[in-house]
Amino acid sequence: MTMPACRVARPKTVEEAVRILADSGPEAMIIAGGTDVVPNLQMKLFTPRVLVDIKPIRALAGITMVAGGALRIGALNTLTEIVDSPLVQSNYPVLVSAVATIAGPLQRNMGTLGGNLCLETRCLWYNQSYFWRKALGGCLKKEGDVCHVAPGGARCWAVWSGDSAPALLTLDAEMEIAGPRGSRRLPLAKFYRNDGIYRVALGRDEMVTAVFLPARTVGRRGLYHKLRIRDSIDYPLAGVAVALEVDRNGVCREARVAVTAVNPAPLLVNEASEWLVGQKYSPELVERVAQAAIRTGKPLTTSASTPVYRRDMLRVFTRRALEEAWKNGRD
Amino acid sequence: MNKELIRLKVNGEVHEVAVPPHKLLLDVLREDLGLTGAKRGCDDSSCGCCAVLVDSVAILSCVAIASCYQDAEIVTVEGIAPPGTLDPVQEGYALAGGAQCGYCTPGFLICTKALLARHPHPTLEEIRVALSSNLCRCTGYMQIYESVQLAIERAQAREAAKPAPVGR
Repeated sequence: MTMPACRVARPKTVEEAVRILADSGPEAMIIAGGTDVVPNLQMKLFTPRVLVDIKPIRALAGITMVAGGALRIGALNTLTEIVDSPLVQSNYPVLVSAVATIAGPLQRNMGTLGGNLCLETRCLWYNQSYFWRKALGGCLKKEGDVCHVAPGGARCWAVWSGDSAPALLTLDAEMEIAGPRGSRRLPLAKFYRNDGIYRVALGRDEMVTAVFLPARTVGRRGLYHKLRIRDSIDYPLAGVAVALEVDRNGVCREARVAVTAVNPAPLLVNEASEWLVGQKYSPELVERVAQAAIRTGKPLTTSASTPVYRRDMLRVFTRRALEEAWKNGRD
Repeated sequence: MNKELIRLKVNGEVHEVAVPPHKLLLDVLREDLGLTGAKRGCDDSSCGCCAVLVDSVAILSCVAIASCYQDAEIVTVEGIAPPGTLDPVQEGYALAGGAQCGYCTPGFLICTKALLARHPHPTLEEIRVALSSNLCRCTGYMQIYESVQLAIERAQAREAAKPAPVGR
């Protein structure tokens, strides 16, 4: 496969980058690590006139404690840097657990947190060469007008295949987004739109600059479980992140469960907090939450694995992750 | 597309090449600089054959745009030891049967080099994780892990054989 011809812009500041994005409109595309963007460019899923290389913007990298005890992780921090960060390791174990499963070490050395939070959605009918797609007349998301996954509907079901987003959802993370009118903050849960085509609430002239993890979620015990074909490198086919606060009597004080790779967005399981808070561990309770996770996840035939298996693993992972997190939570 | 003059520091040498701005690092290394050690395997960032070191960190040159790496120190498999000599990592792979068809070998050598530079004495588990981005369809990986362990021994032996610093 070949790269589509394009120019590369190299802004030195966020303001400059945003100006280029605003001036170029749909012709511009941000590139950082390149692990998601470049293969997609080669498949001609995008044909931008200008690639905006944001790597030279130094202000976009750095893992720092900010006022009030929140942790700020720059959009350009690589996934390896996050896994290796003592600040993240000691305060937000669920994030380390999830990020350590993203692709393999080579991809994690290049891929950035901002990139992982803005991944392109994936589908069997979309992530294919131009030749392959053209032979089938395209799909709803690209070059066509029918969704081959759900032919009756007018909605794109390409899945959200990020691993860091569900973990960050369980930590009540916030995005920092820069645009022509300055910087804004947005809860991560509102960033994802659950639509395979318009996947994130980000304007064409905006870019993610950082992620904030609030001080109140420091120390939440958590972990991430992921289904994939090859355990060393693949995208998730289903994933569950769990974060709990458990007091010394074993009573749950705060709980979040999030699922990924089974919808066009990473989603919190809403019933989980309500049902778990104030309760002690019991297999029945955990099973009930696992059933709620299944109702939140709606896997369709968007990948090489069957929806039935992915759904079932969602239940197994939720049960397992809750049990493990609960046990770790008891001092 | 107009070409752009870019400057790359590869294996300690500065090269100026005129390339399209979107040209991939792997293609510039192979086609413009004649460094054919890094290989194109999967072409979509999942096999590790194209690995090179950028500022001592192993990356995939098949998804890196060359013009974005102008300030970096790039090392390819050709540059891990001075010409005519072998790095302990290369000795380990040669002696323990870590290479069969050889296509994936440059990627493994680069990732092993990066691992040992950070952790001179990794555990088997650390070796397995560090090489988990690299696919090999010949060896079954066991010989590769043995090669890394042999490389560690040979590096240690070289270290021990060095003459004591003057003045002691």
